[in-house]
Amino acid sequence: MLRQIGRRLFTMIITLFGVSIIIFLILRLLPGNEVTASLGVSAGLLSHSQLAALDRYFGIGKPFYEQYGSWLGSVLTGNLGVSLQSRISVASLVGTALPVTLELAIGAMLIGEIIGVGFGVLGALHPAKFVDNLGQGVSIFGLSVPTFIIGTGMVTLLASVFHYFPSSEGFVSITANPWLNIQQIFFPALTLGLGVGAAIMKSTRTAMLEVIGLNFVRTARGKGLSRRVVIWKHLLLAAMIPVITMSGIQLGYLLGGTVVVEDIFVLPGLGRLLITSISDRDFAVVQSVTLIYAAAFIAVNMVTDLLYTWIDPRTRA
Amino acid sequence: MRNGIRRNVSDRSAARRPLVRTTVAVSVAALAISAGVVATSVGASGRAIKTQTGRAASSSTFVVADTDSVEKLDPDVITNFLDFQALGLIYQQLIQYNTKLKLVPDLATKWSFSDGNKVLTFQLRKGVKFDDGTTFTSADAVASIERALNPKTADASASFLASVTKVVATGKYAIKFELSHPDNSILTGLTSVNFSMLPEAAIKAGTLAKKPDGTGPYEFSSWTPDVSFVVKRNPNYWGGKVSLSSVKIETVPTEQSIASALEADTAQLGLLTTPEVVDALPSSLTVHKVLAEAYRALMLQDKKGPLANVDNRRALECAITRAQVLKDAVFGDGQTIGPVPLGEYASSPISAICPKQNLSSAKAYLKKAGDPSGFTFTAIASDVEDPTDTAQATAVQSELAQVGITMNIENLAGTAYVQDWLAGKFQAAFAENGANPSPYVMYGRYFGAGGNLSTPAGYSSSTLQKLLLEGDTATTTAEQTPIWKKMTKFLTTNAVWVWLFSAYSYGVTVPSVHGFTLAPTTSTTLDALATTTVS
Repeated sequence: MLRQIGRRLFTMIITLFGVSIIIFLILRLLPGNEVTASLGVSAGLLSHSQLAALDRYFGIGKPFYEQYGSWLGSVLTGNLGVSLQSRISVASLVGTALPVTLELAIGAMLIGEIIGVGFGVLGALHPAKFVDNLGQGVSIFGLSVPTFIIGTGMVTLLASVFHYFPSSEGFVSITANPWLNIQQIFFPALTLGLGVGAAIMKSTRTAMLEVIGLNFVRTARGKGLSRRVVIWKHLLLAAMIPVITMSGIQLGYLLGGTVVVEDIFVLPGLGRLLITSISDRDFAVVQSVTLIYAAAFIAVNMVTDLLYTWIDPRTRA
Repeated sequence: MRNGIRRNVSDRSAARRPLVRTTVAVSVAALAISAGVVATSVGASGRAIKTQTGRAASSSTFVVADTDSVEKLDPDVITNFLDFQALGLIYQQLIQYNTKLKLVPDLATKWSFSDGNKVLTFQLRKGVKFDDGTTFTSADAVASIERALNPKTADASASFLASVTKVVATGKYAIKFELSHPDNSILTGLTSVNFSMLPEAAIKAGTLAKKPDGTGPYEFSSWTPDVSFVVKRNPNYWGGKVSLSSVKIETVPTEQSIASALEADTAQLGLLTTPEVVDALPSSLTVHKVLAEAYRALMLQDKKGPLANVDNRRALECAITRAQVLKDAVFGDGQTIGPVPLGEYASSPISAICPKQNLSSAKAYLKKAGDPSGFTFTAIASDVEDPTDTAQATAVQSELAQVGITMNIENLAGTAYVQDWLAGKFQAAFAENGANPSPYVMYGRYFGAGGNLSTPAGYSSSTLQKLLLEGDTATTTAEQTPIWKKMTKFLTTNAVWVWLFSAYSYGVTVPSVHGFTLAPTTSTTLDALATTTVS
């Protein structure tokens, strides 16, 4: 197991190194630079001396490898740099935004699992019955309606009918005001969770239907195990492998989904920080946030793989 | 297989009963929790609003929602609209524009030109204190202007001070600018937040980028980049007590979400630009609108190709119905304009050669240009730079097609557009340019001698340069009016560009807000907050 973890960690580092190069190059291949991004057409009003001063400040004109080496060296020593727009350290910006996105992702995953596993299990036990049809309906809705439409619709409905839009009051952390924080996170998490739950529900239902008819369930009962043990330990555990796979995949994509949902629900998370930084050509922030997203995606996949191994000993190398 | 599964399931009906019960219980409990949170939250909505409003009323935290966020705190280097509005609550300048766009005193009580209009003297207001408690004097004013003149500061409006050779204190409450040549536009420049009056001590300490320190109705409280900017009432404000004890500018990334925040009363003022969002707002909200300090024009390059011919450009001008472009781009929520859209020198929106669309005149100009069947050119646009660009371009394209002119549209990404625009790499460009009450400020940079934006302007003329210089040298309205009229006529008669329209900016307030009006210039948009009350 340790060897497997070590191997995966090594692959993760190599992948992140590749991601860092790609992001670095893509940002600099785009037309324009930090000056035109922050000033727009007003950049034309700058005098030559002002332009030269700004070029020096932004490091424009230095060779790519020099800029990359300088940035990577700083990152490896724990210095993510300084935002060129706000002149605040990137670590500080990320430190403020990351907990919001993590809370949102965990909340969405929780809601997704409740909806997905709940309806999946019920649907498998009552195929073609009301609860199954309801689950299928929720699933089709979650899969077919884009997140931004669900989110915008939810915000509009809550605000216009109930005059309720807690996220717009300004985000508060769970330690500062737990109840307001839960209200602020619940609706965006529900928006994301519907999509996640839909995919998990499909996987759970299919996996349960496949496992429920297999002989090992009968054998387990024949051995004299209690029904509860047979059902929870054998049946559900065996059905969990595809569910975990789907959950891992969904969590990865869910991180991407937070970008849109944070915008709609006014949450100051990593996604919003990324979008703002891209439009401002704030390279230091974009590079760091992208690396964090990439690392999170890879880590989720790694944990998913390790969970397989834990649940199903046959997959151990 | 399906039947087999069903049969198998049926065989185990007794065995799965506990599972069914447990699963049903877990799922129902989970759903009940979810529904409970929704119901409790929504059920609490009424209370939540009252709580919020109650909090706003008790502490007077007034929330302004904007899609943008405050990017910088140093007033000299800001370029973002919201930065001007936010820092405009804290800082003041020597002079400012009033709601009728006339220059009025701010921290200077009066001013005058002398010595052949090469010396500009200001008398400063007495009894003004900075947030740090120090008194505003001529030493602070001189230090502020010298800071703006220093290239290391990279003041975003430094070009306005190009004529300044020296600024000196002539008393504790008087300063004078020595100019290299008569330059009336410097007055307009000095209204910018980029030339705010700063405390000399803070300049020397280099703290202004992190802790703003001004003389305005509010003082800095906190700033979270991309999230919020908060100011609180300045107890030492020379202009009297302000009602709102605290103002928070909250970044709400989409205009639709701002509308929702207003409906939920979690924001009391929303700054909007999209007419379709404003049109969909409930009637309980009050919409304030003002012509934006910007104008849309089709900029033309006259160096080569068909647009080098003045008659082809005139044909363009005659073929376009501006009112239709306004309707298609912003649902008619704005005004068609001439070259000077606002201020006391505002020009009539009527073009000098074609007051309205005149297809026969357009065809006559094409014939005169030697292109009777029309010509083809490409216009760049960018929905990123201006979301109305595609609608504008499509409207213009169909209008021009009526006289055989084919306009290809190249919709570019924001930075690509900016790059091509700055380099003048276009035949025509749909542009949203800054408007100003001073015609010289608007066009000196494009058509004046040595103008910074002469490349994208795409047109140069000694007559135009002479008119701009004359207008800038004149110091009274009476002297300037005929000059700017001549300039306007020159621009339209030669179809230098095609001026299209200015759209409205909106400020939407909730019913509890009283006394708010939207000011017509960017720097002063939120000035009315000093006299706004919340019931």
